[in-house]
This record gives sequence, structure tokens and C-alpha cells, in this order.
Amino acid sequence: MQDLMAILPLVATGAGAILLMLAAAFESFRKEGISIMGIGLFAFAFFVQLAVANSGSFAPYSGVLNGMLATSTFTKVAGLIILACGFFSAIAAQAYFTQNKGFVLEFYCLMLFAACGMLLLTMAAELITLFIALEIMSLAIYALVGYDRKSVRRSEAVLKYLMLGAFAGAFYIMGTVFIYAGAKSTSFRVITDVIATTGFLSNPPLVGGAFLILFAFLFKAAAFPFHAWVVDVYDGAPLPVTGFMATAVKTAVFAVLANFLMISSDLQAAWVDYLFYIAVFTMFAGNLIAIAQNNLKRMLAASGIVHSGYLIIALVAIQAKTFTGGAMLFYLAAYALATLGIFAALSYLAGEEERRVSFDDFKGLARVRPYSAACISIFLLSMAGIPPTAGFMGKFYIIASAFQAGHVSLAILGIVSSILSMWYYLRLIVLMYFREPEDRFEVAEMTLAPLGTIILAICVFAISFYPVVL
Amino acid sequence: MLEHIISIMIFVPIAAGLGMLFLPLGRDASRVLGLAVSVIVVLLGLKLFLSFDGSTGAFEFVEQAPLAESLGISYRLGVDGISLLVLMAAALLFPMVYLLFKTRPRGYYCNLLIVQGAMIGAVCATDLVLFYIFWEVMLLPVFFMIGLYGGPKRIGATVKITIYTIAGSLLMLASIIYLGITYHAQAGEWSFDIARLSSLSLGGGVATLAFFGFMVAFAIKIPLFPFHTWLPDAYTEAPTATTFVLSAIMAKIGVYGVVRFVVPVFEENLARYALILACSGVIGMMYCGIAALAQKDFKRMLAFSSASHMGIIALGIFCMNIQALTGTLYQIVAHATSTGVIFLLLGIIEERMETRSIDDFGGVAYKAPVFAAFFAVAMLASVGLPGTSGFIGEFLIILGAVKFNPAIGVLAGTTLIIGVCYMLWLFQRVFFEKTNERTETFRDLSPIETLTILPIVVLIIAMGIFPQPFIDKIQPAARQQIVSVTPAVPAADEAVAENTLLIQARN
Repeated sequence: MQDLMAILPLVATGAGAILLMLAAAFESFRKEGISIMGIGLFAFAFFVQLAVANSGSFAPYSGVLNGMLATSTFTKVAGLIILACGFFSAIAAQAYFTQNKGFVLEFYCLMLFAACGMLLLTMAAELITLFIALEIMSLAIYALVGYDRKSVRRSEAVLKYLMLGAFAGAFYIMGTVFIYAGAKSTSFRVITDVIATTGFLSNPPLVGGAFLILFAFLFKAAAFPFHAWVVDVYDGAPLPVTGFMATAVKTAVFAVLANFLMISSDLQAAWVDYLFYIAVFTMFAGNLIAIAQNNLKRMLAASGIVHSGYLIIALVAIQAKTFTGGAMLFYLAAYALATLGIFAALSYLAGEEERRVSFDDFKGLARVRPYSAACISIFLLSMAGIPPTAGFMGKFYIIASAFQAGHVSLAILGIVSSILSMWYYLRLIVLMYFREPEDRFEVAEMTLAPLGTIILAICVFAISFYPVVL
Repeated sequence: MLEHIISIMIFVPIAAGLGMLFLPLGRDASRVLGLAVSVIVVLLGLKLFLSFDGSTGAFEFVEQAPLAESLGISYRLGVDGISLLVLMAAALLFPMVYLLFKTRPRGYYCNLLIVQGAMIGAVCATDLVLFYIFWEVMLLPVFFMIGLYGGPKRIGATVKITIYTIAGSLLMLASIIYLGITYHAQAGEWSFDIARLSSLSLGGGVATLAFFGFMVAFAIKIPLFPFHTWLPDAYTEAPTATTFVLSAIMAKIGVYGVVRFVVPVFEENLARYALILACSGVIGMMYCGIAALAQKDFKRMLAFSSASHMGIIALGIFCMNIQALTGTLYQIVAHATSTGVIFLLLGIIEERMETRSIDDFGGVAYKAPVFAAFFAVAMLASVGLPGTSGFIGEFLIILGAVKFNPAIGVLAGTTLIIGVCYMLWLFQRVFFEKTNERTETFRDLSPIETLTILPIVVLIIAMGIFPQPFIDKIQPAARQQIVSVTPAVPAADEAVAENTLLIQARN
């Protein structure tokens, strides 16, 4: 019974998607209804997950299915963040579809399937399950990125993402094979025991396998040197999908990365030095790319790379014994709120065919739509880490965890990187407030997106002092 | 009421400012609302000043509530002799702005209210994280005020000041987190309370880095040479009220931050680097003073003059003795009042004549005698004439500087002459000499304007003639601060160059 409880959110999203497809067989079911239903299903799954989050941590089906899933507070909170991301992306999608054509139904189904894969990904405690979850998520996301088949840019984006993602998947499979060769099992629990008895570095197949698997994850997490695809793919994807990818996918991937590194402290210790450099290069590469952008979506994509860098700092600093993931999850939540907020605002401000996405298009927004401009500024300030927003406390926890693990230089480089990032966050605020408007910013009829934006802006302040155990 | 007086002083202006953003008030209504709120803050500030005891040097009016308990971050406020006068400056000077500048849009007054609340918060916070929050929040209104209502080159100036200051604050954030982590490692619990952090024993390279993290942040805000390059642009492009806020109060909070947070926590590092920092203060004084001599735009000239004066105020901290520290705390208010009045008067000139070039003026004193008299008092206080507030502060600082290091003291003392030069020269060119067709039509201050500025001018003179009541409030806390710094030296008054002794004692 408890086992069933643990996977209930998975069932809710998966069954919800199927339900949505069945419902669409009825002719009378229209675009608006589908949107509301998609949003409702995400809200429902979120509350299911919230109910589940109050139960303890254990490995469901440990007897029958080789312990393929494990839950902990970490995975449950990650699940909550993912479903919240889904909810707000669905709201953004509703606004998007009132201004753009497209097959609404399949869109929400794919989003639900992707969320289902992500939830499974956070809980997976076995390499094959993990691969299946990764592919459920990725396939749905590929389809979402290339949703508008007629657009050349979308096709380019999906092609890039699909090819590179397939490579990453292949790396992952190869790594699994290696680990199986070294540990004679794909279960995390067994791998932990094997490392405890034979040691990690003295077991070459394990080293090689972990290396390849980390490659695959770092690709999905957009870490240096696997970050090159991010800007084009995020730019090419439809707005709500970009928001969904930047937040939910990132949460799932970092959750699974942490889970994987937590298999054994030896495994983590062996990668700390490399992760250190990856974190530094990810932050600075992301910043340099972001500074050069003139397109808001591309800037947000590049700043997503920078935030991946901060999250890798948290990975460097995790200590197997006392791991709670608090700093990482808080940062992910804070980042997700701000990013989704901007995408929710963009979803109604961008207009048909995403007309307004470059920096200059937002000149003088504050004069015409003061509330939207204020919300976007709040989100940007949160991303930049200005108090009293959630992003500030997120950064606070990340830097504190780096100091606590003794990585002083990493903490300082993190700070230097956030100084650099001020430039491109401020740039949009300067344009919105200090320039004269050239556009009238007329938008489509009333949708839920403005309301969602305001809720997210309030959340940015509301969660900032949520107690987190470091 | 008294137990929450500080919170009220912080959040009434902030709430009024935020509320005004949403209310569709006209510019007059918003100005009156701003004026009402700032008068309330003045009254509360006077109440606080009168009920402040100060004989023990401890925090009074303490408020406390947990913010993020898992990390020991709390909402902790308090006032002692060090923060009292800075708090007074932040509380008392604001009504003038609403009374003198009547034609600004609503957002301008909103930002003024928010910045006032945030500055009071930064001055009263005794938890480092809370201080950091207010410290950052007080930058945002300045960002919007310069960017929205500034001069023609405002956007460059806005971006410059914002990125400069945020860079400094982020480095400070790293240092704050480092202190918290160290405290957790040494005491086994989380806390960012400044009283507890001052008991830390810090050593090693990282502590020095953390020290510089704090110093850079404060040096940018003060601004201390060589971090002053944002200042001329920002002061010149900002609307007058913002320049007034920046120079009269915000810069002082930088100085206050050094006294409050750096002196008790990093005593050893401060002692080690005091000479370099003191030199940077003196160089700043000279450099900005000479730069001020060469300016043709009077706002720019006063910007440099302000930077030059901040050099001497900062010098007072680095001397690390009771005279200099008392002098610094005294001078904070003295300079806030004098420079505040000067900037406001020049704002009036700028508004009436629509020029800032010194050469366009002449003979203003014949046309506007009251205006000229007020300006003269503020100017004389600013150059430190005996009988004005500026004299007491600068005298104490130079006294302390001579004790600290005679060479520094002599240099600082002689550099004050530069200040006299450019100020008197400015006065001569603007107020005396022949009137021209521009100044022919210059109107003197209206009665309301006169009554607005008069109290501050009286205060300048009062503080120059009766300094003792103010010094009595400052000194116990200042003495405590110094005692915690120099445990090896029993009586601060007898020691020469305590910090040299301190280093010897430590070694």
C-alpha cells in the first residue's frame, strides 16, 4: 500500500495524460477546455505529491523489482518543484495557444508524459529504470521542442537537441554496461556495496562507467563543455517549452545527478576536482555567452547555463553522510520561480509568432504595462540574487555550502560570476524603465498567464526565508 | 510603542512608498503624503534620541525575531552610540526634500520613501544578513531615481553606480557567509549576530580575504580612493534629492559599516592594514580636493568635494583611537548636515537658473542674501571653521591622526586647506563679483524654503558650539568598540599609535 502511495504522483501524471487523450475523442471538447484540464491535471498531481511528501522515505517494491525506486525527502521535494514547474508552464502554454496555432491536446499530453518521466527520474535507484525515465522525459521534450513542424527554427532546434541527446543516451548506455561489468548489478544499492568492498578507483570498469554516465547527465544539465546546444535549442523551442525545459528538466537532472553521486562518497570524491573546474567553466562560459545576446530567450538560455554552474557548486559541496540536498533544492526552486515567471510574462507579452523577444522590443514596457514590468524586474533581481528575494537566499545557501565544504575559491568565483551576470539582468530593467516605449504592447484576450505571473512574483518573496537545513 | 520604534521608523516609509506606487495619486498628493511620513519619522527619531540613554554603550530599543532559524538569521535591530547619529541624519534631513522640490512625479517620492526606510534599517540592523538585505534594498531606489529622473547622461551613470556597488556588496556577502560558517565551526551553532561574531578568533589568509571583502564594499560606498570613480558621474547626473541622499546619508552608512562590522570583527587585520587604508583616505582627500578645484560644473565640483571629505571621515576610523573614532562619528552628522544643505541649495539654483556652470553665475549674494547666508554657514561648516559642527569633528580626527601617525596627521591637516580654497573660490565666483543677466532675475528663498532650511543651519551652529551633549551619547559605545579592538593597551588615551603596540602584542 505504501509502495503504491509513493508512485501515486507518477500514476496521476501518466494516467492524466491518457485521460486527456481519451477526452479529446469527443468533438465538443475544445482548445480552452483542454488547456484548463491540462493545468488542472498538473495541479492535481502537485497536491498528490504534496500528500505523499508527508510520508517517510523508503524503497518501494524493494522485494519484487530489484529496488528500482527509492524515495527520500530530497526526491519528494524535487518532485514538487517539477510539478509546480509543469503547472506554471501549462498556464504559460494556455496564453501561448491563444495567440499561436497548434495542436493543443498533444502538447499537454506530452508535457504530462515528460513530467511523469522526470518524477521517475528523481526516484530511480537503478540504472536501467533511470535510462527508461530519462528517455520518457527526453522523447516528450524532443517532440515539444519541434512542436511547430512548419517553422525552420524549431526544426533546427529539435534536430540539434535530438542528435546530441541521442549521443548522450548512447554514452549513458555504454556507462551502464561498464558499471554492470564492474559491479555485476545495475542497482544503486549493490554498486554502493561493491565500491565499499573493492574501492572505486581500483575498479576500472566502474570508473569508466561513472565517467560516461556523468557525461550524459552533464549534457542534460547544460554544463561546460556540453553547453553549446542550449542557446539554439532554447531559442528555437516554443516559449512555454523553453520555460519548462529550463526549470523542470534541470530540476530532474540535478536530482538524479545528486542521487548518482550519492551512491558512494568514494565516487563523489573521485569527481570533486573535475566538478570543481566544470562548475567554474560553466559559470563563466554561460556569462560570456549571455553578455553577448540581444535576444531575451537566448539570454535566459545562457543564464540558465550560469545557474547550472551554481548548482554544480552545490554538487561539489555535497557530503555523502549529511546530505539533505536543501541548498540545491532551494536554489532550484528559487531559480524555477524566477525563470517560469519570466516565461509566463513573455507568453502573453511576446504576442503572435513570438514577435517580441529581443531586448529592444521591451523598451519602455514600464510605461505601458507597469505591473508586468515590475514582475519581470522582480524575477530578474531574484536571478541576480538581490535580497530579499528567493534567489538571494538560494545563492546564500550555495555559497555557504561551498565554504562549509572548504572550497573557498569556488565560493569566490561564484560571487565573481554573479557580479558579471548583473550586466545582462540590469540591461533589461534599464530598457524597460529608462527608455521611451515604441510599442503599444497590446496582447491577446484575458488568459491566466498574468495571474500566474503575479502569483510567481509573490512566491519569489514568500519562500525566501523558508527554513533550509544546510 | 517604544519597543518597536525602530521597526516603525523602517517600515512606515517603505510601506508608504510601496503603497503609493499602486495608488493613483497626483504629484501634489504624493508629495504631501511623503512629507507627512517623513515628518512622522522625524518625530519618532527625536523621541528616540531623547529617550536614548547611551551611558552603558549597549544596544537600546532592541527588537528580535527569527527569520531563517536553521541558519540563525534573525531580524535583530538595536541602536547604540555608534548608530544613533547616523540614524538621526537619516531621519531628520528628509522633510527638506519634500518641501523644496515640489514638481517631481509620484515615483520620485515613492523611491525617496523607500530609500529612507531601507537606510534606517541598514543603520539599525545588528544581524549581518539583515544588514545586507537593507544594504541592497537601499540601492534599488537610487537606481530608479537616477535612471528615471536624472540628467542627460543618466543611464551610463546608473549602470556604473549599480554594478560598482553590487560588485562590492556581493564580495561582502561572501565575507558575511564566511563569518557565519566560521562561527558555526567555532561555536557549534549558527548566528549572524554582530555581538557574537565579534568574539570570533579569525586568522589566516581567508580571514584577510574576508576583511577585504568587507572593506571593498564599504570603500565603494564611501567612496574611498581608488574606488571613487563612479561618484562624479552619479552625483552629477542624479537629480538633486538623490545626490543629497547619496552624499549626506548613504556614504555615511559606508563609514558606519566599517565602524560597526569591520572594527570589532577584524581587529587584527584592521591593525595590520590601517596604515595603507589611512593613506588611501589621505590620498583620496588630496586627489578629490585638487580635482574639485578644476571643475567648471558646480555639482561636479561638490561631488569631488564630498568625496574629499569622506576621505577624512574614513581616515578617522583607521587611526583606531577614541578621539579619531568619536571625531568620525561626529563628523558623519556634521558633514551630512552641511553637505546636505549645500546640495539642496544648489538644487534650487539649478532649478531656477537651468545651468550648472560656475561661470554663468555672479553676484547672487546681492540678489538673494538669505540664500547666500545659508550657503555660507553650510560652506564654512564643510571646511571646518571653528564655531561650526565641521570644526569639532575634523579637529578630533586630526588629533587622533597625529596620535596614530604624525606624518598622516600633518598631511591630513594641511590637505584641509585645499577644501577651503575651492569652497571659497566657488563662493566668490557664484555669490560675489558682478551680476549678469542670468542672475539679475534670481529670486531669494521663499519663506517656506527659509523655514525648511533654517533648523538645519541652526543645528550646524549648535553642534559647533555645544558638542558635548552629542559626544556624551557617542563616546561610551565608541570607547567599547575601541576597547574590544585594543585589549593589550589598558588606557586608550595614554597610548601613542595603539595599533603598532597591538601588532607588537600580537606578535
